[in-house]
Amino acid sequence: MPSGPSPGISEGWREAWRLSEPAYTELAFQAIYAVRQGNLPPGLPAAEVARRARRRVRQSKLLVSGLLAFFSLGPLLLVDPAVVHLFVLPYGLYLATGLGAVVVLDMILLWWTGLQVLPSFLASGVVPLLRSLPVAPRLLRRTALLLLVRLFDAPAATCLVLTPLVAGYALRSPLAGLLLVPAVLVGILFAVALALVSGRFFVRHVQGARGGGLRTWLRWSYLVLWAVPAFAMYGFVAVGPAFLRFVAALALQGPTGLLDAVFLAFPFSLTALPSLGLGLSTTGAGAALDPLVIAAGTLGYTGLAVLVGLWLRAAPLRLTLEAPHAPSRGSGASVRIATTSVARAIVRKDLRVASRTPGFAFLVLLPLLESAALGLWTFVAGPGSSNVLGLANAAVESAALLATFFGPAFFAIEVMGYSYTRTLPLPGRSVLEGKVGLVLGVYSIAALLVVALTLPRVFQPGLFLGFVVAELPAVAAAALLEYSVLLERARSKGLPVTSLYAGAWWAAAVSVPGLLESGTPLALFAGLQRGATAPFALPAMALLAVVELALVLPFALAATRGESR
Amino acid sequence: MTPTAGRLRIFGIDPVAEGTRAKALLGYVPESTLLFDALTPREFLEYVASVRRLPAEVALARARDHVRAFQLEDEFDRPLATLSNGTRQKVVVIAALLHAPPLLVLDEPLNNLDPRSVRIVKELLAHYVSDGRRGVLFSTHTMEVAEQLCHRVGILDHGELLGEGSVAALREQIAEGDLPLEAIFLRLTREEEGVRDAVRTLSRH
Repeated sequence: MPSGPSPGISEGWREAWRLSEPAYTELAFQAIYAVRQGNLPPGLPAAEVARRARRRVRQSKLLVSGLLAFFSLGPLLLVDPAVVHLFVLPYGLYLATGLGAVVVLDMILLWWTGLQVLPSFLASGVVPLLRSLPVAPRLLRRTALLLLVRLFDAPAATCLVLTPLVAGYALRSPLAGLLLVPAVLVGILFAVALALVSGRFFVRHVQGARGGGLRTWLRWSYLVLWAVPAFAMYGFVAVGPAFLRFVAALALQGPTGLLDAVFLAFPFSLTALPSLGLGLSTTGAGAALDPLVIAAGTLGYTGLAVLVGLWLRAAPLRLTLEAPHAPSRGSGASVRIATTSVARAIVRKDLRVASRTPGFAFLVLLPLLESAALGLWTFVAGPGSSNVLGLANAAVESAALLATFFGPAFFAIEVMGYSYTRTLPLPGRSVLEGKVGLVLGVYSIAALLVVALTLPRVFQPGLFLGFVVAELPAVAAAALLEYSVLLERARSKGLPVTSLYAGAWWAAAVSVPGLLESGTPLALFAGLQRGATAPFALPAMALLAVVELALVLPFALAATRGESR
Repeated sequence: MTPTAGRLRIFGIDPVAEGTRAKALLGYVPESTLLFDALTPREFLEYVASVRRLPAEVALARARDHVRAFQLEDEFDRPLATLSNGTRQKVVVIAALLHAPPLLVLDEPLNNLDPRSVRIVKELLAHYVSDGRRGVLFSTHTMEVAEQLCHRVGILDHGELLGEGSVAALREQIAEGDLPLEAIFLRLTREEEGVRDAVRTLSRH
């Protein structure tokens, strides 16, 4: 007897919450264990696996919430007299600008958090599975929305509660805290919507994009955009004081129109509300903030937030039900394949996977973008040529440390497809060569970027180039050590190498020794650079780096002597 | 996986002691097509061909022939994540055949394939073993396919080998002249009565 939907099933939020429970567990499981990407399922009872997946997702959320809580302390810093006196600005304008920076930071960090989880949400297939059950459309819509909300719950709640609370405490006025709530709330809505839209764009146009030629460059360009929120946080902290000085200059010299334009941008009209509510001065010598501008901005952004909110009610369901990848016409591609050495094939495969996987792309892009940012900063900061050397060295140091700290995470790429690739004749030594080659490649390109941006202005170009080259053996030694530890562990325990890097304990146990390895020659250089020992700094650094490499090499060779499993 | 008992040699090579050498002699089609989803078929085959150290011209010629035979040109540059299960199955079949190994280990290789591709694989496997120098170890739950393709059939039940030999030899083992392989399987695994009970129960609904 065919049976339809049971009559009388509630379509309320309680029922939606109940439905979202197993769906959320499935999302957590997919995000943590990547079984659908070809990883081997963990050999644990299902209930334990679900518990662990949810616990790890909870830990990630707490980590992000902790960072947001740290940003939320911003108002305490803003009202510190020592900081206030740095800026010649009417107090009301100063507070509105400073609180705006805090809200923007909250929004960007939430957006960035969303970018990490939204692709899984959109491509998980969880909501389409629910739709195949006899669930009413309204209930399904609510369940999809709840699933989305649960991805942001703790971080969003931290912003919404803590930021106004701290602002109210700092200004000794509950009213000021309350008046900041609209700005934070609108920021959260914008962040969730931005994450949803950009996540969908990524799934359709990066993850699902065809391969080959220029399209690869296009994908990497998109991924640079993907990293923008992370750098926006860094940038906002870096340029925040400069922005305050810019507003101060406007307040002192005008014109009023430009000041109005600044306060029409999100979220400054909304973060001006506490200043207006407390009756603080927003008038400078040269320009005054027009309350009408604030009213227009407030109404405009509130209206936009309402529209975004209405869109968000239905968007999670609509976007999770549409085909995750953009349809593409058959190209009738010419069948060309190019083989290479095993180690280079591993590097090529890792870069190709990274070009469609933001988490891995970030490992490549972070050292490169940071090098570019620090290199460009030497133009902006306009230091003397001897100081350029210090800044350039710092950029190379951070590239080396980032490459070696994040390098072992490339091992996790082997998790994907492991159920198949373990049947390939892939010797451990080739894996080691490929992965170490990748780390060295990232360091070298990042260092070359700094060299290209700074060398003509560096006081001692020979010393700088020597510094870049001297660090190379230390980075190689660090990467060899990290991957040897992973491979040795796999060989001795008979475990698939890919599951070793899943836990935070192993991440620390592997990355920290690597960090020490690459950081010690840098520390030695810094220690000897001053005074009478300066001429010996570079040779000593190079010697130490080579000695490290010589010490690690036998261990690495021994670790890869075993058979692939 | 470490063996708990017994002894296995692949063309004289111990796969536990010399895993890499043994794997070089195998072409493998897994039951589930969980691959590097972020790669395209081209990128996946390039990786497999490189790991198997195939000369470039050999890899190119074989890939071209197989891709055309399985009509995969339109999907060749699309990420595996976006492809249907049938297309992904074609990719793993091609990856297993690319280095023309002396031994193919196939776990349900016809899963999800369209009828045209099924026919190609069946004909190809028959040709593959025709010169007697290469072998195919074929795992399937579809008895008709096993009966049609396999020279020797082993019936495994919960890790125990209940029967092994040609289909004719298995018929002799159960002393039935013209039973199909499916019936032989059910007889050897003592599941005939269980099947009848299950059908009887379900038919009541």
